[in-house]
Amino acid sequence: MGVALEKLPGIVERFPGGSVAVTQLDQAINLARSNSLWPLMFGTKCCAIEMLMATGAAHHDLARFGAEVARASVRQADLMVIAGAIVKKMAPRMRLLYEQMAEPRYVIATGSCAISGGPFMYNSYTIVRGADEIVPVDVYVPGCPPRPEAFFWGLMTLQKMIREGETIREPGIRRKPVMAALPEDVSMHDIRREICSALIEDNVVDVAKAADEKPWARKVREWIQKSSSR
Amino acid sequence: MSVQIRTLEEHLHASPQADSELTTQEYLVNMGPQHPIAHGSLRVVLRLDGENVKFVIPVPGYVHRGVEKMCEHLTYRQIIPYTDRLDYLSAIMNNWAVAKTVEKALGIETNARIETIRTIMSELQRLQSHALWWGVTGMDLGAYTAFLYGFREREIIGEIFEETIGARLTMNYIQPGGLMYDIQPDFAAKVKKLIPYLHGCIAQYETLLSGNTIFQERLRNIGVMDGAEALALGCTGPILRASGVPLDLRATEAYGVYDQVNFNVVVGAVGDSWDRYYVRLHEMRESLRIIEQLIDNVPEGDYATLRYNEELILPEGLHYGQTETARGAFGVFIDSDGKRPHPRRLHFRSPSFNNMWVVTRIAAGWRIADFIAIQSSLDLVIPDIDR
Ligand code: SF4
Repeated sequence: MGVALEKLPGIVERFPGGSVAVTQLDQAINLARSNSLWPLMFGTKCCAIEMLMATGAAHHDLARFGAEVARASVRQADLMVIAGAIVKKMAPRMRLLYEQMAEPRYVIATGSCAISGGPFMYNSYTIVRGADEIVPVDVYVPGCPPRPEAFFWGLMTLQKMIREGETIREPGIRRKPVMAALPEDVSMHDIRREICSALIEDNVVDVAKAADEKPWARKVREWIQKSSSR
Repeated sequence: MSVQIRTLEEHLHASPQADSELTTQEYLVNMGPQHPIAHGSLRVVLRLDGENVKFVIPVPGYVHRGVEKMCEHLTYRQIIPYTDRLDYLSAIMNNWAVAKTVEKALGIETNARIETIRTIMSELQRLQSHALWWGVTGMDLGAYTAFLYGFREREIIGEIFEETIGARLTMNYIQPGGLMYDIQPDFAAKVKKLIPYLHGCIAQYETLLSGNTIFQERLRNIGVMDGAEALALGCTGPILRASGVPLDLRATEAYGVYDQVNFNVVVGAVGDSWDRYYVRLHEMRESLRIIEQLIDNVPEGDYATLRYNEELILPEGLHYGQTETARGAFGVFIDSDGKRPHPRRLHFRSPSFNNMWVVTRIAAGWRIADFIAIQSSLDLVIPDIDR
């Protein structure tokens, strides 16, 4: 009610007074969307090795974030990772790819090349100084190239934005992308450690303790005592 | 009642349309610039007849950043980070080409430690590059597992790089007159531990992919190119060697400390996609052999003979230097005016550019699926083509 769901994040109806209706259903849908991003295999330069290949491989494993289904076809993808420099010859093609992508679609620009032109900003006659000139970008991931962990931070930022409905765009209004730089006192090692410990917590089960909590545990214990005292 | 058995051909002749000729029509198909096989953004226009490739026209330029023009505004030390971003899979070898050219032009002497470390690092990077290529080739031909294995080794070697250099991809390590940083104290121990492990990995590669019948069927006798044609096209690196021409700058020019180590120049016999595949696998073994011989006695000494703020002005004239990267000869051609610390004009001779044109010669006559195998076996890096 109030929100045209199938058009999210395209059109949001406004109530008098400027507020926007976000219903419970939206939250559920956004949660689902944020956890099943399908990135497009689209890399132009060095960043593609780190962003799309290294993160997709076993060591860094993008699958932990539910975004490992890299698609070769634009029609099946909803996340465009702009990995690398965009030059003037490529820019119209990139726009075409973006327009062919399934809605709702999200864009992450990784690397300084895609953010501002990066190392090629000065004296280059072909570079597009920022992918945001061509397609609306949601999240920037700085670095040259960003580490895979930094890319994950950017992805997590995007997921959070999707969950909170912040990726909704209004027609005709240009919004600034969010810079997913790491907070000042957080280092790569912290993130690695946290991901590691989260994985261990999730995956390691204390069998004895888990068994003790089961309703049949008391019966088993009594039975063992009886049989040992006999 | 008798049953008449006819072959397909007889059927066709017997059919009423036998004399009205079936004709097909040629058409053009665009592959890329966004295409998983393009490994970047190379556009290829294919002229097809059904599924048969008639002609291939590569259209480069989708990542052309004008690096050579930009270099006219940069000092020689500033050029080095840009060479990382050409062929990013052999960044250290590219750095070395610039450093070597500048050193030769200025007559800068380096010591044995610098040259040894440069050689070891280059070979490590060659291993890393070939491991990635092996994985990606597997993925292109439908074996996704290969990709995971290839990247496993890449990450392990990458960690050694990271410890010393601080970068995973864009190294910026070899400088004119030295290195950026000295190696870590436990560098040698770690690399030594790596060597037997990588030997095991290459053996694993063989069992995983090389022995696979489907894989062999898709590569053997596909896209054959003989040595003369490869030389005429200006190919270098594993592609040229797979065609039977033993041209390896490491052996013929012997820069660094390559003249003090034993290694074989691997050559192929047939010049097909399979040879290009196998030459690279063997080259990994040779790289390991080179590292094995050097790692035990890295000489003592300084890691840089020049100060980093020293102004480098090349004498007037033309200077050329080249190194053997994982893809072939990477050359740097500098025209200096002898007054300013920048080049007047600069040209990079990148191996992938010449290697790319091979597809126009050898892909015609094959199916689209074979074209994928051929392009995959060429190991192109697109930003190196476009610059
Ligand atoms: S940001 Fe750096 S690593 Fe990424 S594409 Fe640009 S130059 Fe390459």
